[in-house]
Amino acid sequence: MSHIHLPDGVLPVWLWVSGFIVAILVEAILFRFIKKEELTRRLPLIGMMAAVMVLGASVEIVPIAYHVNLTVISGILLGPSLIFLATFVVNVILALFGHGGITVIGLNTLTLSIEGILGYFLFRLFWRVLRRLTLAIFLATFFALFISTLSMIGVVSLGTSHYKELIHQEGKGVFEFKLLKEKGDHQEGDTEKREVNLKRFIAIVLPLGFIGWILEGVITSLVARYIHRLRPDLLRLEKETP
Amino acid sequence: MIQLSYLDYLAVEGKSWLHRLSPKLKIIGMVFVLLGIVTLRNLPGLLLLYAILLALFLISRVPLRIFPLTLYPLIFATLFIFISGFQIHFILLIFLKVLCGSTGVILLLATTPYPSIFRILGKVLPSLFVTALFLTYRSIFILLEVFEETQHALYLRGGFQWRHPWRSLINISNAFGHLIIKGIDASEKMYEAMLLRGFKNKIHYRGE
Repeated sequence: MSHIHLPDGVLPVWLWVSGFIVAILVEAILFRFIKKEELTRRLPLIGMMAAVMVLGASVEIVPIAYHVNLTVISGILLGPSLIFLATFVVNVILALFGHGGITVIGLNTLTLSIEGILGYFLFRLFWRVLRRLTLAIFLATFFALFISTLSMIGVVSLGTSHYKELIHQEGKGVFEFKLLKEKGDHQEGDTEKREVNLKRFIAIVLPLGFIGWILEGVITSLVARYIHRLRPDLLRLEKETP
Repeated sequence: MIQLSYLDYLAVEGKSWLHRLSPKLKIIGMVFVLLGIVTLRNLPGLLLLYAILLALFLISRVPLRIFPLTLYPLIFATLFIFISGFQIHFILLIFLKVLCGSTGVILLLATTPYPSIFRILGKVLPSLFVTALFLTYRSIFILLEVFEETQHALYLRGGFQWRHPWRSLINISNAFGHLIIKGIDASEKMYEAMLLRGFKNKIHYRGE
């Protein structure tokens, strides 16, 4: 849900370059927590979970027309250190498929991995407190998605001045000159409306997001319940049981 | 995602001049397209870039069947235009940027096999990351097969029905659960097979 579906060239250069730099730094820090042999051994698993996320993003659930991210369940299964690499890979594959810009891969990785990393820690916390698998997964997914959507809105709002520049580009070039002429006298009145309206964006994203968080929460809970029934060892819950 | 296998097929089996062009040149070309998208802020410039990409699309004999793929990102761009207060110039600018990006990327993928792209990326990115990319790409095809089988089985047994959304939701979730378990099992087997072939954290490509 928090995937920034922005094309290339909309966000300011400093923002997406910073996204790449921070993503690489976070990756380097997280790799410090895992041995190289362990990382090499788990590369096929990372690839497989990344593929599950890519497939999840591409399969529409017919009756409700929604696609899932599966980042939280992947985070729970892979752990916080590996989910970051998996989301990085997912974003590269999705960008190569035209799903989100190439320049926003770094920012997308940061916002999407918040889901995975936060989902992992929240699940451990809720499991310790509630001792009910489906509820713990649902709450962890819901709050992880909520926070990552907020971070996505934060990222989008950081580019406000750049959007203003893009909006006020009108009037430069041949094609724009024609548009300007057609508008004629009411040009001055229009300038008031030509402001960046983040409130409207938030007013659309949050209610849509809310439906997404609920759906993703329900689906992730059901997926986890299925995994728990067949392969409980994958969720590593026995360590948490007193 | 079915289109991914079709794109892969086109990239490997295509015979046009763009298919024969060096992958390095095509990636450099894509970088220039990206530079154009990032730097251009006027409609004529972006229109010209889009026209060039469309011309390349047509002369490279890429089937028109995959053209709708280039329009798919427009759905998400629509959400973003609410920021501008529906300014026509801004909307056109965003839409053209989206179309240039997606057409460029789809053109690259439909004319260049993934391993060739990864081989070039391997020269500039850490080998670990490129290996993860390659394994993900490989895994998508393994899982796609599993998922299609599961999907068919569910359809045959009436697993997806508009009249029973809750049951459909449980079934699709179980299908994802099944996919994850199968995927984890397959990843273990994949690692064993890679070790037997001498894997040491880097995949070597043909021609290296």
